[in-house]
Amino acid sequence: MKKTLFLLLILSVSASLLASCSDTEKPSNKSNTATKEKDALTLAIGGEPDEGFDPTTGWGHYGSPLFQSTLVTFDKDFNVQNDLATAYDVSEDGKIWTVHIRDDVKFSDGEPLTAKDVHFTFETAKNSGSVVDLTNLEKVEEVDENTITFTLKQPNSTFLYSLATMGIVPEHAYDDSYRTHPIGSGPFELVQWNKGQQLIVQANPLYYGEEPYFKKLTFLFLSEDAAFAAAKSQQADIVYVTPSFAKQEIPNMTLVQLDSVDNRGIILPYVPSGEQTAEGDPIGNDVTADKAIRKALNIAVNRQNLVDGVIEGFGTKAFTVADHLPWWNSETVIEDGNLEEAKEVLDAAGWKLNEDGIQEKDGIKAALTLYYPADDQIRQSLSLAFADAMKPLGIDITTKGENWNELVHVMYSNPVMMGWGSNSPLEMFNIYSSTTMGQDFYNTNYYSNPTVDDYMEKAMNSQDPEEANEYWKKAQWDGSTGFSAKGDTPWVWLLNMKHLYFVRDDLEIGPQKIQPHGHGWPMTDYISQWHWKE
Amino acid sequence: MSVSNNIIRKRKNMWSLRVKSTVIVSVSLSILVGMLISSFFITPDKLVVDLQLRNIAPSLEHLFGTDWMGRDMLARTLKGLSLSFGVGLLSVIISSFIALLLSLLTLTNKAVDVCVTWLIDLFLSVPHIVLLILIAFTLGGGFKGVVIGLAVTHWPSLTRLLRAEVLQINSAEYVAISQKLGKTKAWVAAHHVLPHLLPQLLIGSILLFPHAILHEAAITFLGFGLSPETPAIGIILSEAMRYLSTGMWWLALFPGLALLVMVGIFDILGRQLQKWIDPFSGDHL
Repeated sequence: MKKTLFLLLILSVSASLLASCSDTEKPSNKSNTATKEKDALTLAIGGEPDEGFDPTTGWGHYGSPLFQSTLVTFDKDFNVQNDLATAYDVSEDGKIWTVHIRDDVKFSDGEPLTAKDVHFTFETAKNSGSVVDLTNLEKVEEVDENTITFTLKQPNSTFLYSLATMGIVPEHAYDDSYRTHPIGSGPFELVQWNKGQQLIVQANPLYYGEEPYFKKLTFLFLSEDAAFAAAKSQQADIVYVTPSFAKQEIPNMTLVQLDSVDNRGIILPYVPSGEQTAEGDPIGNDVTADKAIRKALNIAVNRQNLVDGVIEGFGTKAFTVADHLPWWNSETVIEDGNLEEAKEVLDAAGWKLNEDGIQEKDGIKAALTLYYPADDQIRQSLSLAFADAMKPLGIDITTKGENWNELVHVMYSNPVMMGWGSNSPLEMFNIYSSTTMGQDFYNTNYYSNPTVDDYMEKAMNSQDPEEANEYWKKAQWDGSTGFSAKGDTPWVWLLNMKHLYFVRDDLEIGPQKIQPHGHGWPMTDYISQWHWKE
Repeated sequence: MSVSNNIIRKRKNMWSLRVKSTVIVSVSLSILVGMLISSFFITPDKLVVDLQLRNIAPSLEHLFGTDWMGRDMLARTLKGLSLSFGVGLLSVIISSFIALLLSLLTLTNKAVDVCVTWLIDLFLSVPHIVLLILIAFTLGGGFKGVVIGLAVTHWPSLTRLLRAEVLQINSAEYVAISQKLGKTKAWVAAHHVLPHLLPQLLIGSILLFPHAILHEAAITFLGFGLSPETPAIGIILSEAMRYLSTGMWWLALFPGLALLVMVGIFDILGRQLQKWIDPFSGDHL
């Protein structure tokens, strides 16, 4: 006993000694941040890419590739702007895209960027078998040093989004280590990447575009509360926070709320059970195959309650996968939070409450298991809140947290709390088209509607973005059918999460576009224009 | 005179010891039973999400406060304790059974004895928690994974204890006489060894409880155990971690304390029981 006491004493003394050591260190740390170079920024915005920085395997597809540059870009209102390209045109039949590129562009290693590199980039991406989907691209050809043509199998207006997201990699410097040592023509070049800790980048002196105000950026990869602590101790200039931290006050920092289509919704199996995927996972669910159930869930849920309760009001109600984007149909907004109406819908479809207070029809009980990724606190909270909110309706929902390895086996036959949100309408096609059924995470509920398919086909084939958007809107709701909650209702979309950042008061980051799924990198889109307030 | 005085004083001491331990045992037992019984009164509707009542600090209405989804922490804590108790009980029973079986097996012959000792050393050489994570993970987590993981990692120390006891009993004269009289090894095990092992087994398994419960909390805390919406103490604590820096101290404090109290009670119970059943070892404590 005495020995342990003695040990405890030693421990506590050494602990306090250590603590005092770090105390003395702190002031010097602080003076570091105060005197640090005026053109350097420290960001703790999360989102470290596991795959590294290779655009041909997906880097930069949400937000800017930073090290590389793309042929075209979108401004914050989703208008096309030239970047590497000086002009592009599309043939009459929509199959051949000709892109003219600048002749003055150099990679950060000094080599010029030519049509050859563009060709190489798209070839590599097409063959990479990664998340980059270029199956529609038939061939790429160089016409001369600065002109390149893309030949598509099918006319496709969304190919523009491929041009806007694909960072061009140098053919001469591309090998297996490229993803950890990226070289590109973007505004920044990589200095150091300590995986799991930090990424340091500096301005690329050979960059052809507007010279960024900040010459050195340090990205810290911290956990949520470590990032919050870094903000509190003034060790980071921009910090990503979750809604639970956003209500806190941090001196000298302001909370910036960026609107997003980073949405959360529940995918509902659209077909009755019975089938199996090629891997033997069951497809379909007899309860959610009933349109009345899907409608009732959509009408009964009070989205505003979820926004206020689960994400502290830092979000908006969601009704589709693409709210407030140019191709969103605003008619898809429905009246929600109406239990009575939802009950009527169920009643009319023949569902009756049994003695346990659960809806039943033809011997099938309205009981569901709602799955969510176990490590995602917000999706967990949403699932629990949703399940509880559906009890009075007589739909019995159990929630279950699993890791993605498990989820991929149950997602075809059970509701799953998903999240999407992209700055490209192609995502709608992927989620709702009957041609993408069961491909990866696309259309896992096996939704299909010929009319919707037809509209989306037309939108893809359209040459004119405006016209394409009209078709996308019709695919959501054309007055009689569509994939939104007014039509077939294959999803219950719940909310769009605002992306929350604590930003130093004297830092100006300007307006941002509607942020896609995945936080962090999207906000660096216009990083060249960030500057200190005078 | 002085002798009788001494005796009286000793009697007094004995009495006070007995009274003391009876009081201790009954108080801790009633707390434990109170915890367990109250959890039966917590119906699912007490655990529901109420987004209007989020993040309330402890008050008379919510003694332990509420969490970020408006769930009452007292209800969750009690539910978690009873879950921990259930997991603990199940795995301790299995563990003790394994321990008993293995220690009786050592009676058969020398080779088996060596084997068992080797197994004990093997299991004790790996840290519990590592083995637990491995087993629970390969079994796919969940209630089953945790219970099996706990059961197959907690038997070695008890087995070692019981084996020593078995060796001692086996060298007793009456056992030798029984063997000379032609009794089989099984008969000796059942009639001579087992009855003498029972007190040790009982105390040992009760003292296993705190280990099992703490390890259950640890493994769920690390996310290898039960599904995250289950109200288990480990899960409650790991979730509470995220909210500590926003100042919601009650999320971790009360469930943690409750776990500590429960573990402490089992420890006390085990030690008091040891004093009663095995008074000689009680002297050394």
